[in-house]
Amino acid sequence: MAADLEEIRSLIAAALPGAEVEIVDEGGGDHLRAIVAAPQFAGRSRIDQHRMVKSAVQHRMDDGSIHALSISASVL
Amino acid sequence: MADPALKSQVQELIRDNKVLLFMKGVPDAPRCGFSMRVVGVLEQLGVEYGAIDVLPALQPLREVTAELSDWQTFPQLYVNGELVGGADIVEEMFDSGELAEMMGVAQPEEAELPEPERILPGGSQQSPPMQIG
Repeated sequence: MAADLEEIRSLIAAALPGAEVEIVDEGGGDHLRAIVAAPQFAGRSRIDQHRMVKSAVQHRMDDGSIHALSISASVL
Repeated sequence: MADPALKSQVQELIRDNKVLLFMKGVPDAPRCGFSMRVVGVLEQLGVEYGAIDVLPALQPLREVTAELSDWQTFPQLYVNGELVGGADIVEEMFDSGELAEMMGVAQPEEAELPEPERILPGGSQQSPPMQIG
């Protein structure tokens, strides 16, 4: 079962209030890219920024709905 | 809960290798597009690195790295004992010159980001077999 893009978008948006979030399907419904610009990223390492995004959707990675999640993170 | 023996093996590998890549497959034959991209970057930098194929022990290794680095997906690139990231971060840092600097090598003049290739689950590829290295 592929992930619902809107669900993923809103999970990330809820975890990062004020962020701009866009989810793109990069193929097959289970390779997604999250493009996230968030104020919470300021001063954080890239790996920490990615951890923040991943933790919002971890259960969807664990249940296999997302096979791969690419992340483009920037400070808003 | 991660297997303690495996966890200490992993910690030792991270400590003993200046550059260490946990990947799917091996550098001559990556089994995932993301792993292939990281191998491509390391090849352009010309650095020596250790490579561990996670596929034979995928779930146990996810548990270990979740505990060690709060990170569960592969590939994972460690430099000087610290997790740098997966393919996205490695490519961004390569492109900006930060990765070369972190590794103490010269930034290649024509830095080239490899084309992301889709490798389907099961190992079959949509495009003709690619040359690596």
